[in-house]
Parts: sequence; structure tokens; C-alpha cells
Amino acid sequence: MTVFWQILIDGFAISSLYALGATGFALIFGVSGVLNLSHGSLMVAAVVAAWAAGDSLHAGPYTGAAIGVAVGFSLSLLTYFVVVSPLQHTRKIREEEKEIFILTATLLWGIMIQQLIAYFYTDNAKTVAPIVQGVVAIVGVRTPANEIFTAIVCGLAIALLWLLVNRTRAGKAVLAASMNPRGITLLGVELSQVYVAVWAIYGVLVGVAGVLLGMFLGISSYSAGPLTASAFSIVVLGGLGSVPGALIAAYVVGYLETLTAYLISPAYRTIPALLLLVAVMYVRPRGLLGRR
Amino acid sequence: MQPPTTARLLLIGLGAVVVASFLPLWASGYILGLLTIAYYFGVFAMAWDLLFGFAGEVNFGPTFLIGVGAYTAGILDNLYQPPIWLCIAAGTAAAITGGLVLALPALRLRGPYFGLTTLVAVLILQNFIVVDAHLTGGEIGLTVPDVISISDTTNYLIALWFMAISGAILFSLSRSPVGLILQASGQDAVQAGALGFNVTKHKLTAFVISAFFSGLAGSLMVFYLGSASVGTFIDITVGVQIIISAVLGGRRTILGAVLGAIFLIAMSEALRPLGDLSNFIVFGMALIVVLLYPNGFFGLLTRTREDA
Amino acid sequence: MSTAERSHLEVSGLTKRFGGLVAVKEMSLSVAAGKILGLIGPNGSGKSTVMKLIMGIERPDGGSVRINGVEVCGWPSHRIARMGAGIVFQHSRPLHRQTVLENIKLALLPDKLTRLFADPQTDARARAIAARVGLSGVLDRRPGTLPFADLRKIEIAKAIARDPQVLLIDEPFAGLTAKETAAFSDLICELRDDGRAVLLVDHNVKSVSRLVDRVIAMYVGERIAEGSADEVMRNETVRRVYLGGAIEIAARPESSFRDATTPFLEVDKVSVHYGKAQALEDVSIHVHEREFVAVVGLNGAGKTTLFNTISGLLPYAGDVRRQGATLRNSSAAAIARGGIVQCPEGRELFVDMTVRENLDLGGQHQPPEENATQIEWLFELFPILRERQGQAAGTLSGGEQQMLTIARALMMKPKLLMLDEPTLGLAPVILEQISKALERLRQTTPITVLLAEQNVTFALPHADRVYVLEHARIVWEGDPAKFAAEGGAGYL
Repeated sequence: MTVFWQILIDGFAISSLYALGATGFALIFGVSGVLNLSHGSLMVAAVVAAWAAGDSLHAGPYTGAAIGVAVGFSLSLLTYFVVVSPLQHTRKIREEEKEIFILTATLLWGIMIQQLIAYFYTDNAKTVAPIVQGVVAIVGVRTPANEIFTAIVCGLAIALLWLLVNRTRAGKAVLAASMNPRGITLLGVELSQVYVAVWAIYGVLVGVAGVLLGMFLGISSYSAGPLTASAFSIVVLGGLGSVPGALIAAYVVGYLETLTAYLISPAYRTIPALLLLVAVMYVRPRGLLGRR
Repeated sequence: MQPPTTARLLLIGLGAVVVASFLPLWASGYILGLLTIAYYFGVFAMAWDLLFGFAGEVNFGPTFLIGVGAYTAGILDNLYQPPIWLCIAAGTAAAITGGLVLALPALRLRGPYFGLTTLVAVLILQNFIVVDAHLTGGEIGLTVPDVISISDTTNYLIALWFMAISGAILFSLSRSPVGLILQASGQDAVQAGALGFNVTKHKLTAFVISAFFSGLAGSLMVFYLGSASVGTFIDITVGVQIIISAVLGGRRTILGAVLGAIFLIAMSEALRPLGDLSNFIVFGMALIVVLLYPNGFFGLLTRTREDA
Repeated sequence: MSTAERSHLEVSGLTKRFGGLVAVKEMSLSVAAGKILGLIGPNGSGKSTVMKLIMGIERPDGGSVRINGVEVCGWPSHRIARMGAGIVFQHSRPLHRQTVLENIKLALLPDKLTRLFADPQTDARARAIAARVGLSGVLDRRPGTLPFADLRKIEIAKAIARDPQVLLIDEPFAGLTAKETAAFSDLICELRDDGRAVLLVDHNVKSVSRLVDRVIAMYVGERIAEGSADEVMRNETVRRVYLGGAIEIAARPESSFRDATTPFLEVDKVSVHYGKAQALEDVSIHVHEREFVAVVGLNGAGKTTLFNTISGLLPYAGDVRRQGATLRNSSAAAIARGGIVQCPEGRELFVDMTVRENLDLGGQHQPPEENATQIEWLFELFPILRERQGQAAGTLSGGEQQMLTIARALMMKPKLLMLDEPTLGLAPVILEQISKALERLRQTTPITVLLAEQNVTFALPHADRVYVLEHARIVWEGDPAKFAAEGGAGYL
């Protein structure tokens, strides 16, 4: 019985983390139309920055986390201005091919960041000092308090995002831009400002998700690829362009992984989710709640 | 300027290959080894270019086909030690099967979904290899008991002429009437259908051809290196290098992919003393090319002005 | 050229639904060998969809299509093409990386995987076809370097190469000069004389009347008239759809507007190109403050292009000025914020958001207190919107969506409101409501309106001045009374 609760709690924590990352990924795709294949690298960069802050600058966990988030934020904007925006506006590539070029460019950019991190900090796993220490007993299960903290922060972040998008004027403009960019332009909103805002929000989400992940598990430069893969698996499962879909899919994937790790073997944890993804792509490429 | 005819380009290519055949006379084993790898890479890149440039399908996981071919050949050799040519044939057949399995549903998908499917295929393959370590050698890799030859020169010449023949076939294909139909299928499927062409049939064929050459080259490379690992055949980084080679050389030129591959391998090697930074620089240069010179080397050379 | 004697096309009960919208409803027609049938209708009538259904580019939901007696309904397009059907698309679609000769050769190729060597016959045949249409001089050039008319010739050449027994041609003369049109007409007649069955699709009876033996008119997916070109042009229903019934005028003379020297909006010799096609040619119009100007024209005339140019969404040559100051350096969003607001043809509503949210987004740049008042006023103008304010915009009917589009634009307190074909696809009773709303707007507010319409009955009663846009050029300007008298007859 304890195992059941362990799975439930562990699964919830990791799913919440996935949900946060995937929400960011889905947001960028929904509004900007970009599948950011450097997603994982941005998260790893945030973790490593937080770790480095603790290691070299002897910063406390809060400061370290803040630095991590700041790095995620800056790198995200850098990605937009250096890689994505120039390709979206260039005249040298035909419109139909732009999507592919942007995909390739973000992939390249992600690998570059990954290599740079490996060079400066080696590819050994790093963990970040958790903000919340100690162990708590839930329903008789000894759980690291950190996990609870993670789940709460993720939940808060997602809730804040939801409030921002659905209840504020600026947020609704962003949502409208994802539905109909031409429509919102004709209502006097500069799309370029919307895009910058979205990548900025994404940067914060990725930074927070990365730092939390680093407090949870050991992260190395090798983690970048699998992190990107899980983000887009979740987003495709949930339906490209649907943030609620991504949220649901995140929990499906998170629990699938946790169940596999506990009941079969940790080595196989990523496989069922991948197989599910393949099945979905064959049978219902739209995903759960997909629009496009 | 009139673009050179197929025959003329093939002749120039033949000339270059003949000249390159004399390289072993004065180059060191190290250089020959490097170029051998580059030539196999060239075949990987040409196969990718056929699929992308002509059928219009972006394969983000060329290493799926290559890996399936390489590992099938390697595992077979480990288990039963059949003659090398049999292993290579089996590897190629496996790659073609893999290509069909991937293509049939993937071709029904639009836009980014197709590219993502190919990426996912690579991830799944990677996972299975790591997990089935007893068969595949897992993360450490596989060693095979046989190699084609121990001589640097022999291996080099085999790779060179294999690349030359593959290149000639792929290039002629691209310039043939079938190549024209493939281009139409990739550029404007609706128009191609209205002109009476079964687009799915043609794209599937392009897939199979791409898989054939990828699998064959992969299998050959296993018996050159004497080993196979995730890092050499399957990793996404390898796939990206293949795509970069083709883009650098110029999409849709087939021959340019070889130049791109040689350049990439040479660069990576030259920068190796920098350690992990070497990859960073190489990919950084590739990113700059993608951003500023999307038509690659050949694009700059021939300057086909489509929209003048 | 060998063509079977009995080539003909028979369509019956053809139906196509896109979601809840019925695009084509029980459409029937037939074309015999050596005859040309014209299929005409305004935008949204379903005529292009009928063509795509016949060719297999879209899958029919019901009905039958027989080519030479063989049932091909539901077949993929490549099989229908090999059965003897050919299509010339409205927009030229050559392969950009291939030469003209290669484009024509492609059409001559069989659907075989094993063609590894070029057949020398193919080259000779392709050159012969090129000579027939007049492309011999440009065979080695790439399409990107060629003028518009040559691109259309490539399309015809491809069609000839396929040697179809049934030929479908979509808007053959759009974008061509009078001379080019005559040459194309002759070519089509030749093809007809070969014994083929030809289906011409267009929105304008006049342009195809010389060629066709019979005409079928369509509206909102159904056939509404059939007969000779003259009969159809005189048909009551057809005239009502295109021109409407009796027209009342309420125009104010141009001299009554105060900004005589510097009109509020000036479009000065503007030219716009889409690729090679000229969408607008040296177009100049002006609109005074508080004036109501109508730009009438058929599909493809350039009305939407004109609006998108004013809104800053397209690159153009020439100048667009607002109160004397050029708009060239302003972004599209800035132009909208500055008071020039467009209700686009596609409405561009945020379909998953509620009516209220759409309106709020319209008012986002205005102070909140003003928005509250404005919304109240709009709910009085369009009472149905108040009823539906909590509903998702996508669930509204066509008429309600159009009202929402106008209301949302009005939330921006525009100085100039541009309405692009607001009546498209709407039932007459809805047009009444919108017409009344426009009337109220005109009388109670200082708003300036620029209306683009092909429905002249709707446009004329409100207009102070009328421009006629035809094939990218302004061909007529004057007051509505004069238009009703002279313009109407030639319009259809």
C-alpha cells in the first residue's frame, strides 16, 4: 500500500514539473508558432547557473534559484532575438521552408548551449541545494519536503499563468494573438511586442522548472535532449497548440514514467510514454485536445 | 550562367574521385581514416538530401535508419558470425524495413508532425539499445569480431568508391524524369496529383532509396570501425551533423552534401584539441550558415536565381 | 491529338460539407464533347469547390461524377487525371526551380517509378506544345523571371500536354490584358474544337460569354439559373444576387465636406503586386471626413488588396496619406490605433473567446469608463449581441459574426471604418439589419466609412460617392445616382 502512495506522490511531483515545462513549450508554439528544440538546454542552463551560484559564489539557495531563473529568462530572450526572430523575418528562405529552418536552428542552438555548459562545467550531474529540506510524512509515507515544495510552486506558477492569460487585458491580447495574429494586429496590437512578452514569460517558466528539477534530481548537460524530448512528447500528446491538453498529458506522462520506474525498472522509465506518443501519432495525430 | 549538365557534373565528379584515389600515396593513415569516415558521412548526407530536397520531407532522425542498419549488421555478426557481406545485406534490408515502417504512417502527417515522428523514432531506438544492453552493448557499444580490412588504404578506397557510386546513382536519379516527379511531389503535391502522379507512391520510393543507402553505408561503417555505439550512429547530435552537411553543401544538390560532410568532419577534427568547445564552434558556424547563407556552398556558387 | 468522340462530363447530386457549412448542395451539370459550359457565381458560391470535387482534390460527401461514362467520384486526383481530366488552376503554380521546358515535360511524363532516362520524344513534344501557346522564346528560363501572362501560358501548356478529354479552367482571364485575353480565348476554342468537354469557372458572365455554349449560375452552393449567356444575364434571381433590386439613394454632394483640399484619406497612385500578378495598378482614391464612400467591384478586382494596403499589411508603390501625413512608415498596429480600422472580409474573430471578450479586446486601447458606455451603445445598435455576449464567437451565425466584427471595430472609436464585403454569404433579412445599423452610424456619429462591396444594392443607398474597381484599376468614379443609371448594366 505504501508503494501506491509513494507512486501517487512522486508521480505528482514529477508530473507537476513536466507540466510547468510543457506549458511553457506549448505557449511558445501556440503564440509564436515555434517548436523550440533548445527547450531542454535552457532548463539545464538555469540549473547549472543556480548550482554555480551556490558553488562559486557561495550564494544561498534562494539567491541561487533567483540567479537560475534570471539565466533562463535571459537565454530565452536571446534565443528569440538571435535565432528565431531573424529567421521569421528573413527574405532568403521561402515561407514554406521557414518552419523547418527554425526547427533546425533551435536544435543547433540547443546543442551549442549544451556543449558550452559541458565545456565549462563538465558533463557530471549537478544538484542544486534545495530551498526546502527535510522529510515529511504523508499518509505514512516518508516524502522529501522538497517534493511538496516543487508541486506547490509548479501549481502556483501554472495558476498565475492562467490568471495572467485569462483575466488580464494584456494576457487576453496574447491569447488572442495565438488564435488569430492578423485579427489582433488589426485591433492595434503590435505582434512583435506580444512575441517578446511571450518569450520572456517562457524564460521565467523554464528557469523555475529547471531550478526545481535541479533540486529534485541530478542534472547534467546530457539531460538537455531528454528534457526537450519529454516536453514535445507531452505537447504533441496533449495536442499541439492546446495548453490545457499539455497539462493533462503532462500528468499522464509523469505517472506513466513513475509507474514504470517503480513497477518495472527505472531504466525503462521513458519507454511507455514514447510508445504512447507513437501510437497517438499514428492513430490521432491531433492529440487529445489539439486544434492545428 | 547555364547550370552545368548532368553528364558534365558527373565527369567532374569522376575526375575528382580518380584524383582522390591517389591520396594514399602520400597521406598519413590518420588523414585517410578521417576521410574514410567523411565519405561514409557523405553518403548519409546525400541520402538525406534526396529525401528532403526532392521529396520535400524533413527527416530529423536520419540516424534511425542508419542505426537500424548498423546495429542489425553488427548484432548479427556478433551472434552468428556469418560472412560480412551477408551481415551488410541484412543491415540494409533492416534499414529498408525500418524506413517503410516509419514512412507509411509518417507520410500521412502534415508539417511539423512528420519531423517530430522521425525524432521520436530515434529516441525510441536509442532507448531500446540502451535497455537491451546484453544484445547491443548498451551505452558502451558493440564490438564486432570481423572487419573488412585492416589496411587504411583499402578501407579508404572502398569508402571513396562506394561514395562515388552512390553519389552517381543518387545524382542521376535526382536529374532523371523520376527525379522531376519527386521534385513536383515535394514542392506542390496537389499539382502533382492533378497531373496524374501518385505522390504517396513516389515519396515512399524516395524513403526506401534513402533508407537503402543509409543502411548500406551504416553497415559498411560498422565493419570499418569494428564497433558501433549510440554516440557514433544514433545520437541526435550525429543526425544534426548529417543535416548540417547537406544544408551547408546546398539543399537539393546531392553532390554538395559530400562537400558539406568533408568540411564538417575536417572542422570537427581540426578543433578537437579544444575539447567540448569544438562541437560548440562547429555548430555555431552551422547556425551562422543557416541564418545568413541558407543556400549553402553550392547555393553561393551556382546562384540559381529563382525569384529574379 | 487523339481524343475520343464521346468525351463528356456528367455530374449529379454533388454535395460537399465543410464542418457545418454546406459548400456545394446537390449540384448537377453535364458537358458534352466539343462544348464549353460556363459555371458562374460570386465569391463563396461554391463554384471552385465544384471544380475541385470533380478533379478529386476534395472528396465529395455525396453525388456522382462520370467521365466518359466511368464513375470517378471519390477517386484520388491522380487517378482521375489519368482517366482523362485536366485542370488549370486559378493561380499559376509552376515548379520554381525548374525551367519552363521542364515544367511542360513533367506534364508529359507517365506515372512510373522506372523512368530513369529521358525519352527524346518527350523533349520534342514539349517544344511543340510550347510553340503552340507561344512560349518558345523562354523555354530555358525559370518561372520567377517571367511575366504574368507567360505563367498562365505554362498552365495551359501543362493542360494541353495531359491531353485531357475533360478540361476544367478556373478564372481563365483574371489578370490578363484585353489582347492576352483574346489570345487565350482562341486557345480555349481550339481545345474545344479538338473535341474536348470544357468547363469554365468564373465570377463574371461577361468575360466568358463569348466562349460558352451554356451557362449555369451558382449561389451559396446551389444552382440558381441555367441557359445561354444572355438568358442567365437577364435572369431575375441572378440579377438580384449580383445587383439587387431597386436602389434608393441618399447621397451628400462632395462639396459639402469641409476638408476639400486635404481629404482625410488619400490613396495616391498605389500599385501592389502578388508575385508576378498585379493586384492594384495606379489606384488613387480619396475619402473626406464624415463621407461614406463605396468601392464596388467583383471578385478579384482588388478590393481586399486595397484595404490591406491602407491598413499597412502589404508592401506597395505609391503613397497612402492620412490628413496629409504619409502612413508608409507606420506599422499595421499603429495605423489601427491611429483610427483607421478595418473589418476584414474574413472577419478574423477570436472564435474561442466570448462575444464580450472580443469586444473588450477591441476596446483595449480606450479608457475603461468609455468602454462601458461604448458597449452599451453597441448593444443597442446590435441587440442580438447583448443576448449572446457570453457565447463563444465561433458559435454565432454568419450574420451575428458580421455584426460582432463591426461592433468590435467600433469599440476602437475609429475615425475611418473600412468594411470589406460585410454582406458576403448573408441572408437578405440580416442584410436589412446591418444596413439599418450603418444608417444609424452615418446619421448619429461623425464617422467616416469606406465600404468595399460587390452587392451594389447594399452599398448604394448609403454612399455619397462610388468608385468602381475592375481588374486592379479604378475604372469609374461618381455619385450613386449616375452609377445606378449607367454603371449597372455593364457590371454583370
